[in-house]
Amino acid sequence: MPQAVAIQPALNVRRPGWRGWGLFAPMVAWLALFVVAPTAILLVYSFFTGEGIGEVDTHFTLENYRRIFKPVYLDLFWRSIVYAGATTILCAMIGYPVAWYIGRAPASRRGKLLMLVMIPFMTSFLIRTYAWFTILHEHGLLNGFLESAHLIPTVFSHPLNILYTPTAVMIALVYTYLPFMILPIYTSVEKLDPSLIEAAADLGAGPTRSFFRVILPLTWPGAAAGILMVFVPAIAMFAVTKIMSGGHIRLIGDEIQEQFEGGGDLPFGSALGMALLILFLVTYWISAGRSAKVLRGT
Amino acid sequence: MKLFHIVLIVTMVLSLAGCNRSSQKQQQRLHLFAWSEYVPQEVIDGFTKQTGIPVDYEVYDSNEKMLTKLLSSPAHYDLIQPSEYMVEHLIKRGLLEPIDQSAIPNVSNLLPEYRNPEYDPGMKYSVPYMAGTVGIVFNSDKIKDPIRGYQDVFQPKYAGRIIALDDNREIVSWALDAKGIDINDVTPANLTKVKPLLADWLKLVKIFNSDDPKPQLFSGDVDLGVVYCGDAAKLIEQDKKFKYVLPAEGAHRFIDNLCIPKDAPDKQAAEAFINYILRPEVSKIISDKFPYTNPNGAARKLLTPQQLANPASYPPESVHLEIFHDIGKANADISQLMTELRNGR
Amino acid sequence: MEHMVEVQSVRKQFGNFVAVDGVDLNVRAGEFLTLLGPSGCGKTTLLRMISGFETPTQGTIFLAGRDVTRLPPYRRDVNQVFQSYALFPHLNVWKNIAFGLRMKRVPSATIKQRVQQAIGLVSLVGFEHRKPSELSGGQKQRVALARALVCEPKVLLLDEPLAALDAKLRRAMQVELKRLQSRLGITFIFVTHDQDEALVMSDRIAVVNAGKIEQIGTVGEVYRQPKTRFVADFLGAANVLSVQVLSDNGMTARLSCDDSLVISARSGQLEPGSTATICIRPEKIRVSRSRPSGDCAFEAIVGECLFRGSSHQVQLTTGDESLIATIPCQGENDRPFAPGEKVFCQIESDDVIVLDSANRHSIEAPGTPRSQERQEVK
Ligand SMILES: Nc1ncnc2c1ncn2[C@@H]1O[C@H](COP(=O)(O)OP(=O)(O)O)[C@@H](O)[C@H]1O
Ligand SMILES: [Mg+2]
Repeated sequence: MPQAVAIQPALNVRRPGWRGWGLFAPMVAWLALFVVAPTAILLVYSFFTGEGIGEVDTHFTLENYRRIFKPVYLDLFWRSIVYAGATTILCAMIGYPVAWYIGRAPASRRGKLLMLVMIPFMTSFLIRTYAWFTILHEHGLLNGFLESAHLIPTVFSHPLNILYTPTAVMIALVYTYLPFMILPIYTSVEKLDPSLIEAAADLGAGPTRSFFRVILPLTWPGAAAGILMVFVPAIAMFAVTKIMSGGHIRLIGDEIQEQFEGGGDLPFGSALGMALLILFLVTYWISAGRSAKVLRGT
Repeated sequence: MKLFHIVLIVTMVLSLAGCNRSSQKQQQRLHLFAWSEYVPQEVIDGFTKQTGIPVDYEVYDSNEKMLTKLLSSPAHYDLIQPSEYMVEHLIKRGLLEPIDQSAIPNVSNLLPEYRNPEYDPGMKYSVPYMAGTVGIVFNSDKIKDPIRGYQDVFQPKYAGRIIALDDNREIVSWALDAKGIDINDVTPANLTKVKPLLADWLKLVKIFNSDDPKPQLFSGDVDLGVVYCGDAAKLIEQDKKFKYVLPAEGAHRFIDNLCIPKDAPDKQAAEAFINYILRPEVSKIISDKFPYTNPNGAARKLLTPQQLANPASYPPESVHLEIFHDIGKANADISQLMTELRNGR
Repeated sequence: MEHMVEVQSVRKQFGNFVAVDGVDLNVRAGEFLTLLGPSGCGKTTLLRMISGFETPTQGTIFLAGRDVTRLPPYRRDVNQVFQSYALFPHLNVWKNIAFGLRMKRVPSATIKQRVQQAIGLVSLVGFEHRKPSELSGGQKQRVALARALVCEPKVLLLDEPLAALDAKLRRAMQVELKRLQSRLGITFIFVTHDQDEALVMSDRIAVVNAGKIEQIGTVGEVYRQPKTRFVADFLGAANVLSVQVLSDNGMTARLSCDDSLVISARSGQLEPGSTATICIRPEKIRVSRSRPSGDCAFEAIVGECLFRGSSHQVQLTTGDESLIATIPCQGENDRPFAPGEKVFCQIESDDVIVLDSANRHSIEAPGTPRSQERQEVK
């Protein structure tokens, strides 16, 4: 049998010329202006001292970072992580099958289905959040529906009290971030060669093992992007949590907003912001590492 | 790919944060920065019609947000609308422009008791816009027991039926009043004293909302709460089952003012606006729309007897009322205490 | 002999389109059966019904005597080699090959041993840790083969597995596959649209046309005794003629195309006066300048004459008919005949194939010893 020589991946790394850098420059400028500069300002502020509403003493101090480690704020971070984590898990559980369904639909129908996912996002997020109010309200559409379907008082003894509870917050969070999960997974699913799934079945893998051994690893880049794109902004979410919980549930984002706008302490708010940024980076680092591992097949 | 992710995330965070800071300089334009739901559009249109000066109207929902934004856009706003303690704070920091009273002849319409406020003696920097109280509103169809003060509201039997302002300093001041402590005496020791009481109270609240508590009270989602008198007055106008009570333990009285920030681009326009809203017939429009306590004596004469009899707008003078003073760094203590307590749930 | 696969009256419809139209097919244990037919005739669909990726609209499929018609693919003891190979891109060669054994929960020591064996079998020692993206087409092909073979399936299904390889590698793999099959004794069902490939590798060939099996038989049978015009045409070049039956004495039939061309054929109980269709392989026409002795010689005019390396392809015209003959090259002669030259042709009566007028399906060919047959063909 002829021993064919394996193909080596070509080393075609080219250095970009000035033209390449020129194309890249607006991007760099954009990043510098809207990412690097604000972050740098935040960093500098986080070492100052707050002096009453909006006033700042510019002497260097680590006090703000020390304050973050008080149980109050650690609690807040932990609660934010829990909510963001739960949001991510629910988004993945709902988003994966949806993305799968869209990705496997006939090509002609995929565009329309994707549109359906995107449509709610053409309105303002505040309007969308208040739309949930009309639904979840004690005298709202959901309870109205349940009553007219005679599920109240047969199945549920009294009208469901969902608004102003953690459930309402979760509904709003999942609803807000679901497309950010669906879209990247969809991209991966669409690229997945269907004959690989058949090959798995052919080799004796039932649906479950086929999913965990072949489908999930191969769509993991999309899932990882989705997890990142849901988890990271969900940690920093504010306003929606406050509105849906009637002000009971405050996450780290609400606290930062309060420090900046509610007459709190700008340097402390900056320190909280920096802590959040570090949390983002850790999340990114973990998920990127995990993706690399999956792609290596270990 | 990595860069793409970062850019995407940043874009999302920015868009969610809603960064809408864009403004440019134009000739003869009044940049008004005021509370939301406080200045009727009619009044603004009337001013433009009268003087030919167009108005840029931006809103805020807390004094502190106003201050943050004021500091981040120097020499931009012509007219702001701070409450009494914020006026005190702004004066202390030299952030206000003195007002030329000779340009505002209509100040004479103000009732004498409003002309020499303790936070700005002689009205050098501020002119009162509207005043009011923070008090208790309840639905008398649902609440049959007498409600006289905070202790009557925050009872376990009303758990899940209470609405409260989403404002840390307000909430703390109620507890201070209930304990008989001066609401401006915010010290760590006093905060420690009210902490257990606050912890009990906060558990009973169903909704924290400063923007507009009316729909929830009206729909019966909640039956009682502590709100701004203007909202209570509107509820009473619509249905007499709503009652307004000033807490017997003492209550917070606020006076919102019009002030000209330092380096305002168009001081004349700002003074013209102040003068305009002090006209009795204009001030009446404000009272019609937002039934707070009108400090304008000439305007009060134009109000209907029903308006003047609304206990939320014009309460009996029997209760001890006090205004807020600037408490400086103690704000941070309040913030931390409340974060701690509100996380407890 | 026991049948490993029995396909009974299987029909598959996609909407209104009938892709497989009432197929009966029996595959014996250990045989190499090829489904041969043009693209779109339903070969893949038939194969996918055997592997379980499609469910027949009608009919039954038995695998080793067991009805598997409605069984999902992962419960069937068959394995498939996909046309695109379908190697798992996230797994290396070793893990790709071990996949099926892992799914069957084979003890890891056994997996190790069997995978190693399979890697040796397809000569991929040293490539265990490569990812599929780091392999050439031929290597991928062999990984796909090893991945399926390591499971020791009752039947191995191969859907045009060599189509993506270049000609030289393809020929090498044909030989290799055939050798592997004889060595392992696994039943192979092999799909191809390439008649040469089918002839080289198969024990039996089922010629598929428009969702039906036109003819099934040993390689020799389908080549030498095609039953239909389609089979004759599809397997090697063929001269197909419509003829009148002049007479049939039970031993020999005399047939005529037109007045100038009269040939005799082995009898097929033909009705004198009726029409029939016959087929003559180009290599069976003997062409010479001088009139040959014996029966059934006729005159023809040479048209184009094409050089084919080992042979010449000569176009001949006689009366209204035109025929193609191939004659082996002899000596240095580039052109055995000049265009327009008058020649004599002769066809042995044994070499005239009388085709069935009606299509018939799934004819069990009588079991002719196969090894001998194959040598005759190539
Ligand atoms: N899933 C399907 N849906 C509709 N038509 C199909 C499907 N699969 C195959 N066909 C049609 O059935 C016919 C036979 O296809 P196939 O079995 O793939 O042919 P082959 O493998 O012989 O080239 C083709 O015309 C093809 O278009
Ligand atoms: Mg095919």
